[in-house]
Amino acid sequence: MIEVKNITKKYGSVTAVDDISFKINDGEIIGLLGPNGAGKSTTMNMITGYIEPTDGEILINEYNIYKKPKKAKEQIGYMPEGVPLYSDLTVKEFVTYMAELKKVDKKIRKEKINKIIEQTGLKDVENKLTRNLSRGYKQRVSMAGALVGEPEILILDEPTVGLDPKQITEIRELIKELGKTHTIILSSHILSEVSQICNKVIIINRGKIVAIDTPENLEKKVSNNNSIYVTVEDNDSKMDTIKEKIEEIEKIKLVKENEDGTKQYVLESKADIDLRKIIFSKFAKENITIFEMKKADTTLEDAFMKLIEGGEK
Amino acid sequence: MWAVIKKEFKSYFYTPIGYIFIGVFLIAFSISFYFSVVGYGNVNFEYIYYTLPTILVLAFIIPLLTMRSFSEERKTGTEQLLLTSPVSITKIVLGKFIAALFIVLITELCTFMYFGILCHYGVPKLTTTFATLFGFLLFVMSYISFGMLTSSITENQIISGIISIGFFIITWVLPEFNTNLESYSFINMFYKYTQGQIDIGDTITFLTFTVTCILLTITVMQRRKLVK
Repeated sequence: MIEVKNITKKYGSVTAVDDISFKINDGEIIGLLGPNGAGKSTTMNMITGYIEPTDGEILINEYNIYKKPKKAKEQIGYMPEGVPLYSDLTVKEFVTYMAELKKVDKKIRKEKINKIIEQTGLKDVENKLTRNLSRGYKQRVSMAGALVGEPEILILDEPTVGLDPKQITEIRELIKELGKTHTIILSSHILSEVSQICNKVIIINRGKIVAIDTPENLEKKVSNNNSIYVTVEDNDSKMDTIKEKIEEIEKIKLVKENEDGTKQYVLESKADIDLRKIIFSKFAKENITIFEMKKADTTLEDAFMKLIEGGEK
Repeated sequence: MWAVIKKEFKSYFYTPIGYIFIGVFLIAFSISFYFSVVGYGNVNFEYIYYTLPTILVLAFIIPLLTMRSFSEERKTGTEQLLLTSPVSITKIVLGKFIAALFIVLITELCTFMYFGILCHYGVPKLTTTFATLFGFLLFVMSYISFGMLTSSITENQIISGIISIGFFIITWVLPEFNTNLESYSFINMFYKYTQGQIDIGDTITFLTFTVTCILLTITVMQRRKLVK
């Protein structure tokens, strides 16, 4: 369990993180979201004990990271931003060094290291120098370094940045798999990734928490109306007057005219009304042929943009 | 701490630095050996340690040993791995210091082959030899700890290296110009060891300087958590 209590980080007169508090329970996967420079990495660095906050305290499984650093740090596996590695060590040597730093018992060390190398798919490159690896492999080595010592908490700073789509899926799968047995905090600016992996999202902007909730709730929160996209064939131009005929429609807008003569509209109603049934029956009466109808999803992206913009106003 | 010592020590040999330190020192040592033994027929082992080539070369190779220690970790970001591991900063600093010291010890061991050669031609004094080796270790230790301190304050290893070289040369040359400083000169203190005297005062001075530098390095690393 991680408890962050009123932490503030100031650099001179600049406040990077401003009075943030949150609590993460065991087994949760938390996504830390925010635009660049919002304070994500600073927050993570404070949780791992790499930097000290100007004010406030952080408890890792009840150990204060600044008063009992040894105990607290033992609980954490950290994968820093930009995957720093010792370039003159091989993969195996690197993982071994991390294991030694984390005081993995000598008797089981070899076995544990081999297990982690297998798990992160590094078996083929275990004797290569880390500087000669591709970005994707470096990311995995860094991940292996974080996993070694079986920490309960994993802190991953932008784990998929700079990877190709195949590697991204692989790393995501790995994180999901690890999420079953670990508490994970990850930062990202790929929103679809966060909504796929995380059960809770913390949105940070300008050093302040804008929202903490599940991705689903966040999406719901920002959608204050229902939008339906319909593609219709409307030879008698009845769509122009349809708003008067169906009173539930609050707004109607032409999106595009297709080459085959059909037109796509977006119809908006209040949040508690589902227009689809009404559209289906009324349009048929009006002799408007529906080619396609779909509900517009509000995405985490919309939620994010709205929350960030709301905070800036 | 053992993990840090082991890794740092290995790193000296993964990079050419370890070989350069030992190699360059032995070359300088050989030159001195040639002139003093072949040139003057001298069989004093300790004398070879206290010659211009060996001291001059030290000014440049000691910083080589220390300039990377913290600067590079900070620059590449591996510092984040080290400082978030459950090893305390004190142990990290000591680990790096001891690893550098091991390289010096190995160098001293290598110079024993010259001692063997000398034994063949004459009878070098064993007591002064050990006093010299002990003094040399203390002397180099002081500069290593200072070099590590400079490395902890900058992320640029070149700057760290230049400050260390500058410090060595200043502490070497300045007492030559100002007699008041003579008794504070590390070189002069080291000279006494090569004469077979182990002066308690000098030993304490070397040790105090080393401990102070190490403590300052630890403080710098700890303070940086707050300002970084």
